[in-house]
Amino acid sequence: MSDLFDLPFEEEEPEPEATPAPAPAAVRRVLSVTELTVKIRDLLEAEFFEVWVEGELSNCRVWNTGHLYFTLKDESTQLRGFMFRSALRYLKFKPTDGTRVVARGKISVYEPKGEYQLVCEHLEPQGLGALQLAFEQLKKRLQAEGLFDSARKRPLPALPRKIGIVTSLDGAAIRDIIKVLRRRYVNAHLVIRPARVQGEGAAIEIAQALRQIGRVPSVDVVIVGRGGGSIEDLWAFNEEIVARAIAKSPVPVIAAVGHETDVTIADFVADVRAPTPSAAAELVVSRKDEFLGRIDRLQDRLRSAARGRVQRWSRRVHVADSRPAFAGLPGRVAMRGRHAAELTHALARLVRASLAARDRRLQQLERQLTTFDAGRRLAAIRTRLVTSDGRMRSAATRRQDRARAQFQETAGRLDTLSPLAVLGRGYAVAWNADKTRVLRDASAVVPGDTVQVTLARGELECEVRSSGDSTQKTHRENP
Amino acid sequence: MPDTSIKDFEGAIAELETIVKKLEEGDLPLEQSLALYERGVQLSRFCHARLEEAERRIEILNERGELKPAPASFAADDDR
Repeated sequence: MSDLFDLPFEEEEPEPEATPAPAPAAVRRVLSVTELTVKIRDLLEAEFFEVWVEGELSNCRVWNTGHLYFTLKDESTQLRGFMFRSALRYLKFKPTDGTRVVARGKISVYEPKGEYQLVCEHLEPQGLGALQLAFEQLKKRLQAEGLFDSARKRPLPALPRKIGIVTSLDGAAIRDIIKVLRRRYVNAHLVIRPARVQGEGAAIEIAQALRQIGRVPSVDVVIVGRGGGSIEDLWAFNEEIVARAIAKSPVPVIAAVGHETDVTIADFVADVRAPTPSAAAELVVSRKDEFLGRIDRLQDRLRSAARGRVQRWSRRVHVADSRPAFAGLPGRVAMRGRHAAELTHALARLVRASLAARDRRLQQLERQLTTFDAGRRLAAIRTRLVTSDGRMRSAATRRQDRARAQFQETAGRLDTLSPLAVLGRGYAVAWNADKTRVLRDASAVVPGDTVQVTLARGELECEVRSSGDSTQKTHRENP
Repeated sequence: MPDTSIKDFEGAIAELETIVKKLEEGDLPLEQSLALYERGVQLSRFCHARLEEAERRIEILNERGELKPAPASFAADDDR
């Protein structure tokens, strides 16, 4: 600057003709410094009312008044610049040293120092768009703070009690989310905190909404987002205030902003990033599907494991049955007739009662298990119908039926333990005609006599055609 | 038996898994098996109940922190 003013004097001084004639005192007008400065200011301001100038930022400083002071320079020249806090507020990026910018403003004069300067109204970075740069800057800063660390990410609740949603009521996002949630988790309880998601002040509203919804009892996960749009439309989700609100949320946050390809700062800070609002809804409810399947599988395993225990117990009884002490039981039963049969009945009843008690408990528990199973609910209703149908039958019949059912049920388990099962294996009991005695000797009957035969199922009335001695059999019966 | 001893859904699932494994592997006395089974049934009932308990409802939280039912337009969407 000083060069510019010095130069003419250096050149002009040696010129002898240049010695000015003394001006007449009357025309000589002496200005005060202030007067001159004001004139200069007026000239400059009129001439450079609105200029665009490019250069590299340096000496950027924000004073405690909130105004920004900087120097704009190129290879050989510097221009002092100044930006009011009010204008600075609208910048999407933070001016830093070394950034190449295009500045718009007017030239004015700072009178106390007699310096001219650029009063900057707008700054935008060259090359990268202003938004892009702001994005990179905030991303870098928050990353350095550790806000994106995977250790900070909280798992989503296995089963949300209430799902919080922060978005605009007018947007497509809320419809998409509701639609998906209803389809996949019909009894979902949603709490929507409406917030403007674009335009001036949107970021503040979103941040406020996040703070509020995190405090609603039972809301244990929050979806924040909006549908697709331009980078400017999505900008609120790149604001620091939103990022901080997400980071401070007491419950996990799913960010769902725009489309798959849109990535915002909110996405980085959130516990989970969903590519779209619909996908966010799916992330929340797919958990329910997963768990339903898991519970059902566990139930099945639980049921068969418990059944396995009871069956193993039954097998032990079975093993006892085949021990030598019991080996002759079938034969002895056949010989001792009705009394023996009754005794074995009693024995069977004892064992059966013990097993049946456990089995009933098992079945009762199984019933409890299945009544909640949506898929089996119909079956349960059907069972209830059958039951009420049964009520119409006489009490006697019902008791009989129940006894029979209970017996058949346990008979399978008792199987070989029950001497009655001997009949099932093909043995038969032969009685005299009036069924008062069990026949154990062929000589007890003569041809023409009637013999009653008890089989596993049913009875036969037979006529003896011939009878003979069977020593072998007798031996086998009495080892 | 009260379900108070069941803390949360995740906990219930985890305990149910442990019980199933125990029943499947261990050669436990019958009574203990049945006790475990009973607990398992309780847990799985709890889980099912939790899955069904959430109310099908949409609420709007306003700036004053008050919860209001969502307008009918959302309820209409709801039924689609």
